[in-house]
Amino acid sequence: MLEVGNLTVRYGKHVALDEVSITVGAGEMVAILGANGAGKSSLLGSIGGRVRPEGGSIRYSELDLLSLPQHELVERGIALVPEGRGIFPGLSVSDNLALGAFPARARAGVVSNRDEVLALFPKLAERRNQIAGTMSGGEQQMVAIGRALMSAPELLLLDEPSLGLAPIVVQEVFAALARIRTTGLTVVIVEQNARATLAIADRAYLIQAGRITGSGPAGTLRTDPAVVRAFLGGAAMEQT
Amino acid sequence: MLLTTLVLGLVLGGTYALLALGLTLQYGIARIMNLAYGEITLLAAFILVFLFQGLGIPPLAALVLIAPAGYGLGWLLYTVMMQPLVARSGSSGRLDVDSILATFGLLFLIQGVLLVTFGANFTSISYLDRGINILGVSVALNRLIAFAICVVVGTVLVLVLARTRWGLNLRAVAQTPASAPLVGIDVNRVARQGFALGTALAAVGGASIAMYQTFSATDGVVFTMKALVIVIMGGVGNVGGALLAGLALGLVETFVATAIDPGLTLAATFAIFLGVLLWRPQGLFGKG
Repeated sequence: MLEVGNLTVRYGKHVALDEVSITVGAGEMVAILGANGAGKSSLLGSIGGRVRPEGGSIRYSELDLLSLPQHELVERGIALVPEGRGIFPGLSVSDNLALGAFPARARAGVVSNRDEVLALFPKLAERRNQIAGTMSGGEQQMVAIGRALMSAPELLLLDEPSLGLAPIVVQEVFAALARIRTTGLTVVIVEQNARATLAIADRAYLIQAGRITGSGPAGTLRTDPAVVRAFLGGAAMEQT
Repeated sequence: MLLTTLVLGLVLGGTYALLALGLTLQYGIARIMNLAYGEITLLAAFILVFLFQGLGIPPLAALVLIAPAGYGLGWLLYTVMMQPLVARSGSSGRLDVDSILATFGLLFLIQGVLLVTFGANFTSISYLDRGINILGVSVALNRLIAFAICVVVGTVLVLVLARTRWGLNLRAVAQTPASAPLVGIDVNRVARQGFALGTALAAVGGASIAMYQTFSATDGVVFTMKALVIVIMGGVGNVGGALLAGLALGLVETFVATAIDPGLTLAATFAIFLGVLLWRPQGLFGKG
């Protein structure tokens, strides 16, 4: 479904991604794990059209994504929730959700999509008239994910959805992601919170200094000693 | 005396508010500070005079033609002139300076065309200038019509922005352009629509000025300046603020003209402008 081939991203002299290749199958949830500055966001940003790579290819259902402007990707069923959320902080929750249904593909299902989003995040229903920028970080993250779902996506790209959130809110967000996952949506998630991510993902890629250094099924990676050392905080790993 | 000032001031302020709305939309949505705004206003004023005197089209009917023509002109100006600047500036913030320089040039271009086409004389039309009694104050009917146009257009605009899908898209781009592509909005397209809408408002403002006021081809700068003062008083990009500040400026000017000296109206305008810039640069109605 999604094929990233030999992707290279450079910011001036700094090489953020060096010939990175990944594939994501339809209905899969794939995690990209790595430390700060490893190139995770550059990878996801390239798929979502926010970052313009220097070389390589991104193909999605026979479509050359690199030839499309960012705003057209949503129309093709690709929704990005970027780092920092990218919501409209000056507009209300319901306006944010309404804007999520901007693409023509989403107009027909607006009502049922909104119902699903509000069922997933009941808080958004209570706060629908609140200005999004005045909400807590976790609630804003819900607005961002809810808005992405309003566009009736086939591929959801999530960039660090748990960044800067209180642990209890992180649990809430991951519980919602686990539910989203059961709808058959294809998800690529970039995270530093490797433990929670591996618990819900199918597969994961490990990224270090702009290169893919490992990959495999989430269940295998969770018990891989090297992964445990690098990403899961050593012996603190829980037994599952 | 006070009532006269109030009625005449509000009527004048209505036109100012309408003019300022267009300028604030252009800057708020397209991020272009259009210094040729007043010239576009004048262009519409001259066209109204031509349609009325030359072709015998009644001013209100002419207005219906001028408004969409203004939208079309704005669309064309954005596509031909502004889009290259937008594309070049990227996210560097150079657009502010570049658009001021480019529209400063456009100002003289349009002014030259107006001078060659319509001459340097003062122009006015005689249209419904009989007095109507409003609360004991005699106001010319043409002024009242111009005021009614401002009220109707202003109300429709506020409703469109607040209630419609299109208005929501415009507000989204005005407030957070970086987030707009994430929901599939083509920022450039919406910016072009915003610029065109602002140009249409400039045209409607100019056409309604021509119904009651004498003007000449070199008056554009004054319109731009007043609109700019109102936009900054109201808070840049703030539609409600521009409406209120426009009415306020009309009142102040009329008060200064009747109570002190008509020659001081422009001085009073700029005194307010300086005061706002010094003490409330975010505008009288802005946050913070």
